[in-house]
Amino acid sequence: MNKKILIIEDDSFLQGLASTKLEKEGFMVVSASNSEEAMKVLATDIPDLMLCDLVMPGTDGFGILKMVRENPKTANTPVIVFSNLSEEKDIKHAKDLGATDYMVKSNFTLDELADRIKEILK
Amino acid sequence: MTDPIIDLQSENEKLKLENATKSDLISISAHQLRTSLSAMKWILKMFLDGDFGALNAEQLNFMKKAFESDERMIRLVNEMLSINHAEDTLESMHMEAVDVVKLLDEVVFDFTGESYKKGIQLIFLKPDHTLKSIVVDSEKMRVVFQNLIENAIKYSNKGGRVFVNVTEKADSIEISVRDTGIGIEDADKSHIFGKFFRADNAKKQDVVGSGLGLFTTARIVEKHNGKIWFESKTGEGTTFFVTIPSSQTSTK
Repeated sequence: MNKKILIIEDDSFLQGLASTKLEKEGFMVVSASNSEEAMKVLATDIPDLMLCDLVMPGTDGFGILKMVRENPKTANTPVIVFSNLSEEKDIKHAKDLGATDYMVKSNFTLDELADRIKEILK
Repeated sequence: MTDPIIDLQSENEKLKLENATKSDLISISAHQLRTSLSAMKWILKMFLDGDFGALNAEQLNFMKKAFESDERMIRLVNEMLSINHAEDTLESMHMEAVDVVKLLDEVVFDFTGESYKKGIQLIFLKPDHTLKSIVVDSEKMRVVFQNLIENAIKYSNKGGRVFVNVTEKADSIEISVRDTGIGIEDADKSHIFGKFFRADNAKKQDVVGSGLGLFTTARIVEKHNGKIWFESKTGEGTTFFVTIPSSQTSTK
C-alpha cells in the first residue's frame, strides 16, 4: 500500500509542485488549502503523515497543529511543518505544539523533503 | 517654550516606530521572496533530477546556472532576515553566563559542511584549559561568530584555511577568526563596519552579501561593551578580533 500524505498548503502552485514530486516518489497525496478542508479530510481519512504550512488565511498552521494533536485519531500522526518562517520563536512554537519536524521551504528541495518523509515513515 | 527633553523623547519614539515599520517591511518582503524562490528552487531541481524527462547537456548546464543563481538569492534573503532579526532585538538583551568555547564549537560545527564544500579547512584551536564563562546574550553572540566565520569562508579561495581561536586575557576573552582569503584593501579598511558597505574585491568574488553582516556584528559587540577590530593584507588574509569583558554582569 502506498503511504498517504496530506499536504495542507494555501499556495496552490506550491501545493501542486509538492504533490507532483511526492506522487512521483510513490506516495498517495491528498491536499487541503485551509484548516476546514484539512479537518474535512481528517474526519474520514487519516494519512500516514501530514505536511503543514504555517501562514494561511483563517486558522493558521499552529492552530491546525493544535487541533491535530488534540484529536486522538491524529495525535500520533507525524506532522512536518513546511514553512518559510524561520525565526527561532516560530520553530519552538511549532515543536512545542507537537510538530515532528520543521523544514524551511526555501532551504530544501522536494527530493530532500521526500527523503525526510521516507525517513520518518521507516 | 518647548521642553527639549520631551522633544527628544517624542523624536525617539518616532524613530523607533519608523525602525519597526522598516523591519516589518524587510520581514514581510523577505517571506514573499522566499515563496517565489522556493518554487523556482523546487522546479529547477526537478528538471535537474530528470523528473520531467532527460535534458541535453546545454539545457542541463543552464538549469544548473539558474538553480545556483536562485540559491544565491535564497542565501541573501536568509542573511537579510537573520540580520534584521538580530538588529530588531538589539534593544532587548538576554544576558546569561555562557561557555564561549562550547558556543564557538557549535558554530564551527554548523559551518563544517559549507567549508568542506568550498574546499576550505576550518580549524578551531580549542584552548587546553577551561575558560571562565562570559556574560553575554548567547543568541546574539552566536550571530557575531556566525558572521565572522561565514565571511572568512566566503572570502577565501579553495585550499584556504580558517582558524578560530579563543584566549583568556586579564579582564576579557578574545576571540579571533583568521583566514587566508582575499584580504581587505587599505582604502576600504575604514568603511568595513559601515552599513551596506561592500568592498570592491568582495563584490568581484561573485559571492552575495547584503553589506549588513559586519555592521550588525560590530553593533552587537558594542552592546556587550566589547571591541572588534581586524588586521588584513590584500591577497594574504584577514584576522578579525573580538574581545568581550569577562567581568561584566549586564549592560543595557
